[in-house]
Amino acid sequence: MSPGDGEESPAGPDREPTKGGIRGEAGRAVGATERRSRWRRWIGRFGGVVSRTGIAVRGALGRRDGKGVFVLVTAAYLLTYLWAIRHLALSGTGGVEVFVVDDPLGTALEQRSAFAYETVAVIEAGPVVYLFGPVNLLLGVGLAALVGVTLAVSVVSWRGPAACRLGAGAGASAGLPGLVSGFACCGPQLLVVIGVQASAGVIAAMQWMVPLAVVSLLGTLLWVGSRVDPTAM
Amino acid sequence: MNHSRRRLLAALAGSGAVGAAGCLDRFGGSGGSAEPAGSVQADLGVACADTDGTVELSGGRRPAEIETAQGTPSTSYDDGEIPLRDETLHLGHERTAFVDGDQSGGVGHDGIPSVDEPRFAPAAAVSMPACERVFGVSIDGDVRAYPQRILVSHEIANDVVGGEPVAVTYCPLTGTAQGFYRGGTGFGVSGRLVNSNLIMWDRTFDVRWPQVAATATEARNRGDRGGGEELVGRSLREFRLVWTTWERWSDRHPDTLVMTEKTGSARDYNRDPYGSYTPVSGHYAVGEPRSPSFPLLADPELDGKRVVIGARTSEGAIAFDKRTLLEESVLTGSVGSQSVVAVADEGLATGYVYADPGGVDVTPTAEGYSVDGDIAAAGELPLERIVAFDAMWFAWNGFYPDSERVGL
Repeated sequence: MSPGDGEESPAGPDREPTKGGIRGEAGRAVGATERRSRWRRWIGRFGGVVSRTGIAVRGALGRRDGKGVFVLVTAAYLLTYLWAIRHLALSGTGGVEVFVVDDPLGTALEQRSAFAYETVAVIEAGPVVYLFGPVNLLLGVGLAALVGVTLAVSVVSWRGPAACRLGAGAGASAGLPGLVSGFACCGPQLLVVIGVQASAGVIAAMQWMVPLAVVSLLGTLLWVGSRVDPTAM
Repeated sequence: MNHSRRRLLAALAGSGAVGAAGCLDRFGGSGGSAEPAGSVQADLGVACADTDGTVELSGGRRPAEIETAQGTPSTSYDDGEIPLRDETLHLGHERTAFVDGDQSGGVGHDGIPSVDEPRFAPAAAVSMPACERVFGVSIDGDVRAYPQRILVSHEIANDVVGGEPVAVTYCPLTGTAQGFYRGGTGFGVSGRLVNSNLIMWDRTFDVRWPQVAATATEARNRGDRGGGEELVGRSLREFRLVWTTWERWSDRHPDTLVMTEKTGSARDYNRDPYGSYTPVSGHYAVGEPRSPSFPLLADPELDGKRVVIGARTSEGAIAFDKRTLLEESVLTGSVGSQSVVAVADEGLATGYVYADPGGVDVTPTAEGYSVDGDIAAAGELPLERIVAFDAMWFAWNGFYPDSERVGL
């Protein structure tokens, strides 16, 4: 193992400290330097993964198949998300009607539950009823784009001959928590309808679904990006 | 908005709702719809078969702008003053059980927004299928109906009826619609539940009021001015809300006003997140094997979704099986040391509970009920009426496990 590659410094916490004096201070200084150095290495590695992921994303979206997957998956996910949070339904009865609340800007920022904000308009067109909630639409677009880009990269890398260390299933698995997070706002109602006991723990866990989905989607995207050979895209 | 609801009658027979043609044939009189045997459904004891029709509940005006309504308060209350009962209502548990059993319903404070400026239209100006569920109220000749399809998205409407500031409340999880006098404050949805039931908060003190108990369980000090500890343990004054169908209510009260969809919120009133009453499905279905979804304060033992008409006083509680009451017309029991009598209102398919001073002979007649020889309508017997309301059995039993049971 090379020095600094995970090895504790001689002045690290396991060594018996000297009684004050120059040697103790020097040891602490060396330890701090080593920690800074370790952080720099981690940041460097992370930066490399991000950079590599960026290249992979640009490469995937630059290809026709990647772009197609991205658009299709993002759109499908967004529609599913809006349906899951009950902003989109086929409950209309024909005709076109629009209703906007009195103070749309102020209303849009009123939080109703974890990651669920107030809707400001009802748009009814034929059989479709859409409740326009700007914050949740933005959230849905963000989640959908993350799922879409992850799947696009993984599909492109799976199809590319020199970058087939990755299966498309990685992207699909990344999309699952994001999809589940769509139920976060209406989870309790869903539990009532399907008759599942909603304990305090389940309710609390539901409030963490959106951030967990974002973290898992970002993590998967970086993992996918780190495994792809950018030169092969 | 103009919404249509078209359902095939044939679907009703297979809807899983419990058929009750035998008892419900009796209620096809005033206010009842033509209900052919075999296609009748009785979800919550309210017989209804005709779900066909169009919903037109747009527009509307504020009650204060309607001549036939008394939408301006005629009683003055201090800011934040809440009308209270002299005696606290019976609680089936120690008050701390309600605090300990309080849990998140998954939404925040006011996460389900109350309707604070309801608008109304006269019955003649709206259109609803006969089977639409409404919660009816009549105070001092001011008659209103609050459609379940709207209130399910808000749970509370702060209104002024008959010159009295009131809160019309509905908890879809427990199937309870209750009316409260709100005085100089308003009520909101706290986002918390106990025994699967809505916990309201008053906007002055942020005191927590479980709907069914109607009694303050704790003060959270998040209201406009804090405090409110002196309210803990006190009970709200209530009035009767009638759970019935649009056809029955509008036949009884052709001059009724109806709350419209102009609530100020952007909602899809075509969709009920918990199920449907037309026809009955999801959480509302009687006999559903699905258990109530939030922890209960007591095991229901019986079918949790069957509907009772419950009443409580400071002495105790009593539950009448709604279907049995509709079949038998008159049932008796006791609340603590007080004898009570329940009578069915055939036209509205509901029931009323009265304190019986003892020895009063109440018998059904073709014109109404005979009380010691005098004839009176079900809702107007010359006895002291006790506020009663429909509830799913699991909810009533959870709040009042010591309740007397009649017909259960």
